[in-house]
Order: sequence, then C-alpha cells, then structure tokens
Amino acid sequence: MNPEEKIRISFRLNGREVEAHVLPGETALHLLRERLGLRGVKEGCGIGECGACTIVVDKKAVNSCLMLAAQLHGCEVLTVEGLESPVGLHPLQEAFLEHDAIQCGYCTPGMLLSAYALIISRGVPTREEIVRALAGNLCRCTGYHQIVDAVQDAARRMAGKEEGRW
Amino acid sequence: MVRGYSRPRSLDEALEMLARLTPRALPIAGGTDLLVDLREGRLGECHLVDISRLEELKVLEKRSGKIRVGAGLTFSEVERSGLLRECAPVLVKASSQVGSLQIRNVGTIGGNVAHCSPAADTIPALLVHRARVVLRSSNGSREVALEALLGGPYKALLAPGELITEFVLEDASHMWGEFSKIGRRRELAIARLSLAALARKEDGRIGELYLALGAGTPVPRRMESAERALLGKRPQEGDLWEAGWLMAQEMVSVSGPRPSTHYKEKAACGLLVRTLLPLLEDGS
Ligand code: FES
Ligand code: FES
Repeated sequence: MNPEEKIRISFRLNGREVEAHVLPGETALHLLRERLGLRGVKEGCGIGECGACTIVVDKKAVNSCLMLAAQLHGCEVLTVEGLESPVGLHPLQEAFLEHDAIQCGYCTPGMLLSAYALIISRGVPTREEIVRALAGNLCRCTGYHQIVDAVQDAARRMAGKEEGRW
Repeated sequence: MVRGYSRPRSLDEALEMLARLTPRALPIAGGTDLLVDLREGRLGECHLVDISRLEELKVLEKRSGKIRVGAGLTFSEVERSGLLRECAPVLVKASSQVGSLQIRNVGTIGGNVAHCSPAADTIPALLVHRARVVLRSSNGSREVALEALLGGPYKALLAPGELITEFVLEDASHMWGEFSKIGRRRELAIARLSLAALARKEDGRIGELYLALGAGTPVPRRMESAERALLGKRPQEGDLWEAGWLMAQEMVSVSGPRPSTHYKEKAACGLLVRTLLPLLEDGS
C-alpha cells in the first residue's frame, strides 16, 4: 500500500528502549502522540511557534513538530509522561500545582519540559534565564508570572537531587 | 512528498548520496525550516539526506587570522562558543536572537543560509563578518563570497548535490558588534527588519564599519552608502540620522516601492540610529 520505504529506529523513551518503524516524512510529534500514545505531547501550531509539542532530546528542549521521527534514532527522549516517578509527581509538577501555574493546561507539558531541560543544564536559573528559556512556550491563560515562580521554586528544591535520572 | 530518508555516517557518504539521488535529494540539518515547508505542502517529491550529525560540519577554529565556522553548528552552539564570542561577535548576537530556544537547539547556520529567507538572522551577521562560503559536492569543492550565493528570496545558488560545509570569517577580535531587529515573532515577518553592525574606532573616528540589513531587500545585503557616510568620522547623532536615511534610500532603490515602504523607510532609519548610538560613546 505504502509507496514510501519505512525506516527502523530505536531510541530510549522515558527510560525505556523502544523500536519503531517510521515513514520518512513522519514527525516526531506524530510518532510519539498518535502512534505511541503519549498524549502529553500536544500539537498547537505545528510550525515551531507555540512550544506545546516540546520534548527533551539528549537533554535539550526541542519542538517535536519540527523534528523527523527518524531523527530520534539513538537519542534519549523525555516526554511529560516520563517526568513523574513511581514515588509521585516531579518537583516541577508539584511546584506548578502549588503556584497555580496551570489553567487550561494545554501549554503545561511543554512548559514543564522546557523548564526541566533548563534546570538540568543550569542548576538554579535566574528569573531572566527562565524567561528566556520559556520564550518559545506560549501560554494563553496564566500570564506567565506563576509559571516563572513555579520553575524558580522547583529549581531550588531540585538542586543537587537530579543525578541519575539521565 | 517525502519518499525516503537516509542518514549517512560521513560527509563523503553524504555527498555521494546527494549526487546519486539528484534531483530528488534534499539535505536536512536541524529541519526547523524544512518541516514547515513539508507541512505546508511546499516540498515536491524528495529523498531526505540527514546531515545533522556529521562531525565534519562542526569545525570551529582560528587559523591564519581567519575563523572557520562549520555549517552544521547549531545556533545554540554558536552562542556558547568562546572563540566566536571573541572573534565573531555579531554572528553570536544574531544566533542568540533566532526564534526560540527549541529552534536554536537544532537549527544550524548552514541551514539558515541555504534556506535563504530574506529575514534569515544569520545572513546579515555573516555579511558584516565578510564570510566566504565553502561548498562541497562529490565533484570537488569551491569557495565563494556569501553575496554570490544569495540568488533571491529562498533561492541559494547551490549546484545540485552541493552542500555548504563551512563559513570562513575575518577575525573581528576587539571590534564592536551589534545585531538588532524590529518585530520578533515569525508571523510578523513582513514588518521585520534586522541590522548587523561591526565597527572599529580609531582615535574616536570610525576606522572600519560594516553594515548589513535583513528583511528590507529580497536578500540581506551590505548597506555601503551608510557605511561610507560614517567612515572616518567622529559621528554625532545627526550623522547617524543621515546615514540611516541613506540606508533607507538604498533599501528602497533595491526593493522598489512596496505598500510597506513608507513604514520600512522610517523603521530602517530608526533601527540604524538605535543600533549605532552606543558607538558614539564607546567602541574603541
Ligand atoms: S506544535 Fe510544535 S511548536 Fe507549536
Ligand atoms: S494554561 Fe492554558 S495555555 Fe497555558
């Protein structure tokens, strides 16, 4: 049926090895959300403007709508589903709840992942660094202040405790 | 329609693939422009050749007074490079202002140039650094001035099967550099202008000055009338307004009158003044 060749890829997804056969023009967003069922990967604009589709690939925040699924091969991928652990919500998630940094929630997974990538690379970031790192994540509801507060708070709580997750 | 995808392991293998699959072969690096084109149905039948992980495209070194910058470096990598902060300040500033962090983490300077958008942020920066472009194909290599590659909006003059492998910049250590733009988000692209500036002051006079305007003309270009107006001067603010006006005239004479001309003339002029104001006090 399909005129295109399929490509076999393998990568680590939320700590687990996965294998998939992907189409050459398939986006990472499509693979993760539609085929692997990770509904935390949201599609907003589909063209790199909103950040709702943000995932963490090899410790960096990227837009999954602008990445080919095939390009995930060999990478370490984190979606919001991988943030939570058996012992409960991630400190970032706790902080978002406590600071009322969520209204409709559509932007939240992307925000959490951008914030996560920032904290693992920077430790406790300044407010300015947080604003800059989240500039590619749009929120139509909160007005951002609560989100920045939550990230700052979580970073302090996480300081020195994130070893071993990667 | 994307018909195939390959991930060559070396530059030579990539060049061989591009040659074999021409004219359908399409290199993909960060993909941040290409995937938008794909989604909007602007790509024809193609086979993607993934060059995003080729180490050969990540060169970064200073050699005999020139700075070699690999085309495969991401905007984030450019921004973080100590060598480039020192020797190519305008490129660093332009890269740090591209899109969002998510885009800077994967988008490359080679891709930015090859896509050749009138509003590509790194092109004006590379122009003021007087970049030359090294191109390779399975048949060999050539080096051209960046200007010679900019054929028109979204038209880089690359031969079939050819890849940009690196940029060779003049060393700009100890020079003053700035990159500024009007309008940040992509949906405002029509209203957007960017200006790259690189200067050296000697005894209070402007000894060297390079200016390049983005998004004001079909492809970004050096604004030599404004450069000439300020060279050798100890400029006052009035001189900047004059130079800004000359630049606006040059922009209009290249682009022809547009509905946006009236706005863009004033905006270009103001952008030049705002960008070069700090040069009046410091910038030695
Ligand atoms: S859906 Fe990817 S950035 Fe909006
Ligand atoms: S909470 Fe609604 S978009 Fe951010």
